[in-house]
Amino acid sequence: MITRRIFSAAAAGLILTAWLRPEAGAAESPEEAQKLVKQLSDDAIRLLTGKDLDAAARNLRFRELLTKGFDVPAMARFVLGRYWRDASEPERQEYLKLFEDLIVTTYAQRFADYQGESFKVTGAQPEDDKVVLVQSHILRQGQTQAIRVDWRVLRTDNGFKIVDVVVEGVSLSVTQRSEFASVIQRNGGKISGLLDALRSKTKELQSAG
Amino acid sequence: MPIALRRMCPLFASLLALALLAGCATRPTQDDSENDPLEPVNRNTFVLNKSIDTFLIRPLAVTYRDLVPDVIKTMVSNFLDYIRTPIVLANDLLQGDFHHLDITAQRFMQNTITLGLGDPATQGGLQAHDADFGLTLASWGAKEGPYLVIPVVGPSNVRDGIGLLVDTFLDPITWISRTDSRAWMGYTNMVSRLVVYRADSLKDLDQLEAQSLDFYAGMRSLYRQYRDGQIRANNPKQGGASPTYYELMSPALTSDTPITSTSSVEQ
Repeated sequence: MITRRIFSAAAAGLILTAWLRPEAGAAESPEEAQKLVKQLSDDAIRLLTGKDLDAAARNLRFRELLTKGFDVPAMARFVLGRYWRDASEPERQEYLKLFEDLIVTTYAQRFADYQGESFKVTGAQPEDDKVVLVQSHILRQGQTQAIRVDWRVLRTDNGFKIVDVVVEGVSLSVTQRSEFASVIQRNGGKISGLLDALRSKTKELQSAG
Repeated sequence: MPIALRRMCPLFASLLALALLAGCATRPTQDDSENDPLEPVNRNTFVLNKSIDTFLIRPLAVTYRDLVPDVIKTMVSNFLDYIRTPIVLANDLLQGDFHHLDITAQRFMQNTITLGLGDPATQGGLQAHDADFGLTLASWGAKEGPYLVIPVVGPSNVRDGIGLLVDTFLDPITWISRTDSRAWMGYTNMVSRLVVYRADSLKDLDQLEAQSLDFYAGMRSLYRQYRDGQIRANNPKQGGASPTYYELMSPALTSDTPITSTSSVEQ
């Protein structure tokens, strides 16, 4: 039975989905991408996990770290996949905004119940000439087996930016892409169907969180 | 014939039929190819499983999590892993994985001292690992076949469904519990596994569902990627390298604009 590991893995990775602070000047080597992921996780734990932080403040800080450390527009485009090309310009703009909102509402409040999971960067290697794969382990309290989380870090003109998080071999972007594609297909191939679903999901998560 | 097996025969027959039908199977890396020709049926089974979970398995799992002391829970988990050893051992052997075969055997002997309730082997540095006949079939070159949602069991595919059946045959518990008077052993084993695994994933699974725009599609993608990763890890030579970010990217994107507004990717 593999379900147990999948689920604990997927979510624990999501909980520590990290936030990188680009250092001055473009980082050049896998070692630097590695340091940035480390820095980011430190920042996330330091700035986001406070129990006394209210929801709005946590969301704000999260969004700040997110947009600094991740190339959110690149992720959004990857996740929309081939439908990006079909989308009109207003649809694209609306989608980019809704995508970022969804990430913030999905993950920001997870840091409120951070329970001392330990995060360790274990290595880094280039995946190709643009992407560095930074490997890390997350160990939950009371567990013996660490969860394997890889970070796809893209070299951009503004330094390294994370574009994907891979938890136990499961890419969050790929998973999200199949969900989004499925929603579009079930809405007769219309992007507007996805935009509606994003809006109502974000609202639902906000009222629940 | 063991009761569990007798019950599984129709399932086996239909899986076999599917396997024969399933000529084409693709890697789960291509955009939009989810290899799910049976999606309407699968979605119905998914809803069925969701109901079984909501009304039976989840409540049991919550009770188990909240009422059973952690010490006992650890023992139960250890014991369930312990009695799964024959399946793991057999599949290590069938995969020709003598390194893990050795570890599995040593773990079994060391943990026998505690009757399988403890896990001194892990403390001594022998990490547990899992193997199943779906992975064995993959190591022999079998493709996944169409995605399947199996009643009660959940996400699978034709290859892993057949694997599950073969593992049931490999499991001594199936044979021990084949008389009516000992059938309870088989059922206890089955139900305990469902409840314990569900208890371990309560929060995670709830979160995944809550954040999901299409939980069915999300689980399908998760399952396929996870198994693909396991297979690659098992057979580095055969599996090849994991797909890179650019290989995973929709061709419509790579041939269109650069991926980021900020980067200078030439495609």
